[in-house]
Amino acid sequence: MKKFVGAGLIAAALPAWAHHSFASEFDVSKPVKLQGTVTQMEWINPHSWIHIDVKNADGTVTSWMIEGGSPNSLLRRGFTKHSLEPGTQIVVEGYQAKDGANRANGRDLTFPDGKKLFIGTDASEQTPSAKPDK
Amino acid sequence: MAHRLHITLSALAFLGAGASLAPAQSLALAAKPATTSSTAATSVRTADGRPDLEGYWTNTTVTPLERPKELADKAFFTPEEAAEWAKRQLATPEPTGPGTYADVHYNMAQFGLERSQSKVAANIRTSLITDPPDGHVPPMTPEARQRNADRAAKNKGHEFDGPENRGLAERCIMWGNEGPPMMPVGYNSNLQIVQGPGYVAITQEMIHDVRMIPTDGSPHLPADVRQWMGDSRGHWEGDTLVVDTTNFTDKTAFRGSSANLHVVERFRRVDADTVLYQFTVDDPSTWAHSWSAEIPMTKIKGPIFEYACHEGNYGMRNNLSGARADEKKQQGGK
Repeated sequence: MKKFVGAGLIAAALPAWAHHSFASEFDVSKPVKLQGTVTQMEWINPHSWIHIDVKNADGTVTSWMIEGGSPNSLLRRGFTKHSLEPGTQIVVEGYQAKDGANRANGRDLTFPDGKKLFIGTDASEQTPSAKPDK
Repeated sequence: MAHRLHITLSALAFLGAGASLAPAQSLALAAKPATTSSTAATSVRTADGRPDLEGYWTNTTVTPLERPKELADKAFFTPEEAAEWAKRQLATPEPTGPGTYADVHYNMAQFGLERSQSKVAANIRTSLITDPPDGHVPPMTPEARQRNADRAAKNKGHEFDGPENRGLAERCIMWGNEGPPMMPVGYNSNLQIVQGPGYVAITQEMIHDVRMIPTDGSPHLPADVRQWMGDSRGHWEGDTLVVDTTNFTDKTAFRGSSANLHVVERFRRVDADTVLYQFTVDDPSTWAHSWSAEIPMTKIKGPIFEYACHEGNYGMRNNLSGARADEKKQQGGK
């Protein structure tokens, strides 16, 4: 976990993977595995957020928000805001928010066939596509 | 997975290419600290005749700031050792165990955030610190130890009381990498340098602040005007851009430094693909003596992207909400 050196000071050594403490946001005792339909991808910093609708056994639908990585690197790898369109089916493994809300970290994101989300697109070294959205 | 492997190999190929192409010069310079005199390497110039530092660069590194214990007597790797070291540093970390705190995050590889997915400049040094020769930050003065202990004590037990108690990075105000001195950060360690008459501007992707550095000979701000990133003034010494920064506040700290921090940075284009970035930090309120480090920055294709950290910093609200939930739990509620 990240340690802060004091109020108002810069934490000198952030963990390489996060700009805030995931462990204080999500509950290690509440692992979740969700299969749902993307309704929106929030293409925002410092973290992208993927919204999905998950169908429950009784036919009702629960909306979840999934926290992911910085969009800057995804853009560099050729992703745009149209790369994960609403209606896409995805599977999320992560941990639910400590406050009990329907939020989770995107520990592992796959398509229903097991293929990993965001992996496998063309991306040469630091080459942004910077292509206009189609 | 194939993508990650490709990039990793690219980075290693670059690191291991000491015998040919551009990295050779960087390796040689790493072995022999650069001087301020001009060299034939700096052939690219701006319209006004200055060395051309413009462009997009990354300071991503596999070299630790301080020399690892096991390398105590070894300031330099051979190129082969450097390549092996880089391979280990860039390897995908072991999977975390389900149900452990280490597992509560997102998959870095998946989101393109591992260092192996960036370019890495060749460096045969075993530490970024070049002086003192042992590769370590000098010991803190008793005054500095007390000051930092007091700072830490002030927030202890109140870390999640409110946004003001959280670190500057989590609050999206500033990140520790921004400096000066400018350090690599976990990901998106990219920057852009632009030169114009009387100014050099540097944008760091993380977290998007722009340093406007006058090079017109103007003096520092009056001592009673303090700024979070200090007051930087630049001048040219031969083909080296030298940037002097003072006038810091006590709201930021570089490895425990105080508002008296004095930073001198040196930028020199040593070949087409490399800017050698060196800095010396001095703060008698913090360290017994000054210390210096250097980071080769390698050219990348632009552009860099805006990292508008406040745009969707839900993490702040969510962390505080998580802390309130923890408190309720401790009090026996649900």
